[in-house]
Amino acid sequence: MSIRLSLLALLSSGPRYGYQLRVEFEASTGATWPLNIGQVYTTLSRLERDGLVEPVGADEQGRVVHTITEAGREELARWFSTPVAQTDRPRDELAIKVAMAVAGGVDVAEVIHTQRMATMRALQELTRAKRSAAGGLAQRLVLDSLIFKAEAEQRWLDHCEAVSKEKNR
Amino acid sequence: MSVVELRDVTREHGQVHALRGVSLEVSAGELVAVMGPSGSGKSTLLNLAGGLDRPTSGVVTIEGEDLSRVKDVAAIRRNRVGYVFQDLNLIPSLTAAENVMLPRELDGVRAGRARPEALAVLAEVGVEEIADRFPEELSGGQRQRVAIARALVGERRLLLADEPTGALDTATGDEILELLRARCDAGAAVLLVTHEPRYAAWADRVIYLRDGLIAETGAVRLESAR
Ligand SMILES: Nc1ncnc2c1ncn2[C@@H]1O[C@H](COP(=O)(O)OP(=O)(O)OP(=O)(O)O)[C@@H](O)[C@H]1O
Ligand SMILES: [Mg+2]
Repeated sequence: MSIRLSLLALLSSGPRYGYQLRVEFEASTGATWPLNIGQVYTTLSRLERDGLVEPVGADEQGRVVHTITEAGREELARWFSTPVAQTDRPRDELAIKVAMAVAGGVDVAEVIHTQRMATMRALQELTRAKRSAAGGLAQRLVLDSLIFKAEAEQRWLDHCEAVSKEKNR
Repeated sequence: MSVVELRDVTREHGQVHALRGVSLEVSAGELVAVMGPSGSGKSTLLNLAGGLDRPTSGVVTIEGEDLSRVKDVAAIRRNRVGYVFQDLNLIPSLTAAENVMLPRELDGVRAGRARPEALAVLAEVGVEEIADRFPEELSGGQRQRVAIARALVGERRLLLADEPTGALDTATGDEILELLRARCDAGAAVLLVTHEPRYAAWADRVIYLRDGLIAETGAVRLESAR
């Protein structure tokens, strides 16, 4: 995933130590992708191996501070200038499930309704998180992104229901 | 306490069964969203809940009063119910402020008091600067806000909103929902019809109508809601 590039992005505005990166990542993404500190350290050591970051000493508590290298900045610029390809996303389990329900003669309306309730619950939770989000613009936009995705799924479910109803007439 | 309650309500238009037996309660401080395909009975449900239409059978009560036994339903409607219509229904010959003042003046509130009230609500929905313009001089979003202000004025206990986000962009739509939610958090009961999941998600409870019935397991409740 893009944890690597996210850490590079955070480092591009100045040197930071691991814990700080974790806090800033979660603040920007609205804690929607919890990141454990172990992941941060492994990622940092890989970035260091690849010459994209380098250690620049430690703070008073002995925590290592990293800074981005020139190669790191180039990598980051490349990331921001490349669109995310559809094929980078995992296969859609829900679409497959609905297709299999149709193929296998299962009650599609039930499958759809069960999913609709679950997706609506997720959407309600995201909306609640958004309402109580004190964080800045970055956090709000990430939550909005998840809301738009959940909404697209919900619309697609409505569409499935309408179309399968027509076919059964 | 439930602000509005529908018990086994049906509504027939000749051969058309718009509602086939719907029971629903909305409490003070609760926002309930109604979703469902076109023609499933959403507007019918809202009209019945607000006393704008009468059920073929079943009972509708507003704050405990059975609407079929109340002498002056119009008075209950004016005093306690705020309605945002699907097509807004602003009066073209009245300014924004006058449109908002109208329901209060019908209640017998004098213009001298109704106007500052209207201006305050227009400010609350963020359009005080267009108070003296006519509906045709407003953008779609501004018109929508005026219609909402008209429903909010006079501290209605029950707000009924039929697609209040209309064709607004999503950022403006969110602001409208924020307004309804705030009223709700201040103690109003809100029934919102929308076909957009993103707005329904602001509700405490979402119900799905299908062919005039609430879809069986269709009540999606947010466990820790309020
Ligand atoms: N006055 C009327 N006379 C005859 N039929 C009516 C009347 N009002 C509504 N209906 C019918 O009742 C059904 C429910 O209508 P309603 O307006 O409640 O649907 P809705 O869910 O609000 O749809 P939409 O999403 O399109 O606004 C529809 O079949 C409609 O044609
Ligand atoms: Mg309608």
